[in-house]
Amino acid sequence: MALLLPFLVIFPMAGAVVSYIIGRRNKNARNMFANALVTVEFAVAIFMSSKSVEFSSASFCGLGINFADGGLRGILSVLCGFIWFTSTLFSTEYLKSYRNRNRYYFFMLSTLGATMGVFLSTDFYTALIFFEIMSFTSYVLVVHDETEEALYAGATYLAVAVIGGLVTLLGMFFMYHLTGTLDMRELGEIIKNVSDKKPYYIAGLLISFGFGAKAGAFPLHIWLPQAHPVAPAPASALLSCILTKAGVFGILALSCQVFMYDANWGFFVLIIGTITMVLGAVIAVFSINLKRTLACSSLSQIGFILVGIGMQGLLGEENALASGGTILHIINHGVIKCTLFLCAGVVYMNIHKLNLNEIRGWGKDKPFLKIVFLIGLLGIVGIPLWGGYISKTLLHESIVEYSHLLVNAGQSTLIFDIIEWLFLFSGGLTLAYMTKLYMALFVEENPYPEKHSSKGKYMNHTTTAVLLLCATIITVFGILPHNTLDVIAHCARPFMNSTDPAHAVHYFSFANLKGALITVVIGAAVFFLFVRKALMATDENGNRVYIDAWPSWLDIEKNIYRPVLVKILPAVLGCAAKVFAGFLEDLMFVILVVFVLVVRFFTESFEYIAEVGMYIFLNKEMPKYGEKREYGDDVYFSTFTPELHDEEKGFRENLSGALVFFGVGMVAALLYIIF
Amino acid sequence: MNSKILLFPIFFPMFAAITMPFLRKSNIRNIVISVILAVETAVVLFITYNRGFEITIWQISNILSISFKNDGLSRFFSCFIAVIWLLVGIYSFEYMKHERNVERYFLFYLISLGVLLGISYSSNFMTMYLFYEFMTLMTVPLVLHNETHEAINAGLKYMGYSVFGAGLGLIGFFFLCHYAPTTSFIPGGVLTMDAINRHGNILRVVYLGMMIGFGCKAGMYPLHAWLPTAHPVAPAPASAVLSGIITKCGVYAVIRTTYYLYGVEFLEGTWVQNVLLILTICTIFMGSMLAYREKLLKKRLAYSTISQVSYILFGVFLMTPVGMCGALLHIIGHAIAKNCLFLSAGSIIYRTGKTYVDELSGIGKQMPIVMGCFTVASLSLIGIPPTAGFISKWYLAAGALDCRFGGSLPTIGVVVLIISALLTAGYLLDIVAEAYFPGKNFDYSKLEKKEPNGLMFVPLLILAAGVVLVGSFPSSLVSFFNSITNGLF
Repeated sequence: MALLLPFLVIFPMAGAVVSYIIGRRNKNARNMFANALVTVEFAVAIFMSSKSVEFSSASFCGLGINFADGGLRGILSVLCGFIWFTSTLFSTEYLKSYRNRNRYYFFMLSTLGATMGVFLSTDFYTALIFFEIMSFTSYVLVVHDETEEALYAGATYLAVAVIGGLVTLLGMFFMYHLTGTLDMRELGEIIKNVSDKKPYYIAGLLISFGFGAKAGAFPLHIWLPQAHPVAPAPASALLSCILTKAGVFGILALSCQVFMYDANWGFFVLIIGTITMVLGAVIAVFSINLKRTLACSSLSQIGFILVGIGMQGLLGEENALASGGTILHIINHGVIKCTLFLCAGVVYMNIHKLNLNEIRGWGKDKPFLKIVFLIGLLGIVGIPLWGGYISKTLLHESIVEYSHLLVNAGQSTLIFDIIEWLFLFSGGLTLAYMTKLYMALFVEENPYPEKHSSKGKYMNHTTTAVLLLCATIITVFGILPHNTLDVIAHCARPFMNSTDPAHAVHYFSFANLKGALITVVIGAAVFFLFVRKALMATDENGNRVYIDAWPSWLDIEKNIYRPVLVKILPAVLGCAAKVFAGFLEDLMFVILVVFVLVVRFFTESFEYIAEVGMYIFLNKEMPKYGEKREYGDDVYFSTFTPELHDEEKGFRENLSGALVFFGVGMVAALLYIIF
Repeated sequence: MNSKILLFPIFFPMFAAITMPFLRKSNIRNIVISVILAVETAVVLFITYNRGFEITIWQISNILSISFKNDGLSRFFSCFIAVIWLLVGIYSFEYMKHERNVERYFLFYLISLGVLLGISYSSNFMTMYLFYEFMTLMTVPLVLHNETHEAINAGLKYMGYSVFGAGLGLIGFFFLCHYAPTTSFIPGGVLTMDAINRHGNILRVVYLGMMIGFGCKAGMYPLHAWLPTAHPVAPAPASAVLSGIITKCGVYAVIRTTYYLYGVEFLEGTWVQNVLLILTICTIFMGSMLAYREKLLKKRLAYSTISQVSYILFGVFLMTPVGMCGALLHIIGHAIAKNCLFLSAGSIIYRTGKTYVDELSGIGKQMPIVMGCFTVASLSLIGIPPTAGFISKWYLAAGALDCRFGGSLPTIGVVVLIISALLTAGYLLDIVAEAYFPGKNFDYSKLEKKEPNGLMFVPLLILAAGVVLVGSFPSSLVSFFNSITNGLF
């Protein structure tokens, strides 16, 4: 049974190779094979999720790898299997007209194995190994189109992944040195009993860097709004729904196991989460690209999840609501965002455009797509009866709960009141940008209609079935939370060291509905007063069109990260390195020049004296002092190579320079011996 | 088993090499070379498998002799040298087709192998020094093989630096002869308490000189400058072994001197350790930075070697068991990966003539297998799991953090390792990305497969697989290295 855990990881990787080989012969067979593979993988993940088994291989990669299933790991691996299942089925149709599909399938399946490896790992070493593999294999998915934007975004993605991975590695060096283990549970046990936690915080911070970068946490979020829109839609769904969760898993492990019930750590995650949540939502409101908006939305939703993780740390043992909200939002966001990205994929597959002005009105006559997208919208905004509502309510309640605790303890609740309002505000923005997308795509008339608006079949049965499945899940989650989501949350609790709430949460009580209501009011206000007014302009023909009003100087990647990392630092450090590297040779060159000048002076003066003597005694011609003498004609051994007429180069490239080293070294050694 | 078998791998290739000038037909010559290398590898593997061979062939005086033995370090070094020499040799058959004077190349190629094995089996300083100088002389013809003005100059520069470096080693030898009863390699060192107490400081100064001298071959600052000059002009297989193997012989001499002559107890925690740690840390950063700015592919790889070999030296100078284990792991990891990179670069030169990084756009579509191997090797140099580079970096860092001496130097070293890895990613992955993803403007109609033939890509594939295998299953290697380091501390 335990062998099924490595199977979950190795099977897709081996399958990737097989699919490549099949793909060289027959494209359809390869597609079928990939579909079958992800179905099997999904089935095995479900089968294994309820078992609590462990697998370890002590010899692999030095420290050995350790897997376990059950609980949170089981839930995440099922989610992973599900997202891969849907997007692989969708890939068949989406990629029909693409080049290099073999490569796509190869790397998509490898990424599946690596991602499973991350979710099943019980220690950070294993997690890092598969995390790195995942980063590199998914890079190929990002740049698959090979357009200029894709390559640019891919470079950013790769840079963030590499830097993040290496910083995480550095953190693990320190953590391993401090504790002698990287097992998540053991780390928690050790750190719990430590009085001076400072070095542990530093190590933890470094470890969280890479995971945070993958999750899209501020200020490492830069890759996310770029990379998701340029990847093929099924790959965007994977990136957005599940690869980011691999990062979240790392943060969860750090927050819930290593720094268990640690208020300082929790507060740090909370602040990062709040910034990410608001920032993502604000960029999403400004964006006028369908997939970019969805990507920014992911950013914002990850922020919500991080807020939940932070609250768990702050609430300590009373984190039932926060932990439930965290895991449920991970699930909900995964499923909902998958639905939305697949819808975007359907749009792109048909008209190859994503700009809101260009795709405007395309979905007016497509009721099925409209309904699915609407369900996704309602889910992600958190409207009662759809999935997102449940998790957002729990997260909101956890903030309120902490405020109550603070009031009881007689402390200021200002920060948490602000966070609560930012939470509701971000929820409102979610409604605003999703409505913007919905209106543009399905309601408004396109003032510049193109030929594509023809009726007819715009997606095949498989895609329809996949979308229907996703939409159904969102709805069922929302309507029957106690039978579905609560059960999932219950399973995940051991990982997060929390217990079920004392009494079942009344999701549809007025107190909880109030939050949703405030969100809707804010969202409507933002939509009508800001999006419709400030983010739309009248063009020369008198039509209202969407404009990109996001000020470009706010782009920290283009204005800070890239210039500093690509231009300034390499230039400065490179020059320093060059000077440093050449120091010894330069010094020797100076010594050599001085030496040669001295020697030349003496020989020339002696020769001059001799020639003067010859003038006096032998009546030879009166010599002129300092006449140019011929260089030696030995190309390799003369001090300065005459051919090159470049003394420095001649010196640097031949033996004489090296011999001077030898001579100087010998002289130095002799002097030391003598004195 | 008779200990005389130790002499076979050293002298067999030297004598066999004499046949080279008489073998004008390339087919026959290739077969002969394959047989020689195969026999050689088999014998070396046999010697590696056994232990306890020891032989003295010439007792010059009481303390000077030419003698060999196969202790742990020798077994490790000889084994990986022979295997890589075999692979690169096979690769050379194809590559050298577009060079002249192939007989001369293989003549010195085979002699060098014997000399290198002589270094690895040497059991005292004099033997090692003898073969060390031979190594320089026998590899110079490989560097200046092209006989262009540039190549000859580079060869001479290489020779000058190496001779100077070895000269510093020789000075140290005179002192050691004076202060130590013997110069045989004995784990833990040969210095007497009396010498340590009365002449400690002189010995440390001399030690520093020796390290700088042997560090020359290993590309350590300040005598690193020959590497970027010599590597680009040599034929690709020659640069591969220069970079992958010859530099390691510098490391070998450093290890022998540090752990088998001076001994850890005498050195650890002293100023000389700090100086050497600073030098290696600076070299690591400098090499990576210069590689990042370099546009000529082989020169970039040469700078990369400077940086990577200093990882090893950093591990050696940490003087902790774990750090030493990391250094030994990195020796093998870097040797395989760097050979793979140079051979890939060689295949590109051989098939397309492209030498600059900017020209390699789309090369991954023309030569997918070669660039695939290049990619795997690059990932190893960066230190991405599950490749060899990751494991060695893990041990190096763990060893550095274990180090009780040197103040904050080891911690700085760990951070520099990470920064250097980042730069490594910068200078290798951009080649890979450009090669495989040339962009939408890439003209697929002009695409033609330029994959080299089996003689070239089979060694490449073996090396690439080796990188992953060593990285995935390092435990037997690690326990072997632990058995080596156990005696040293």
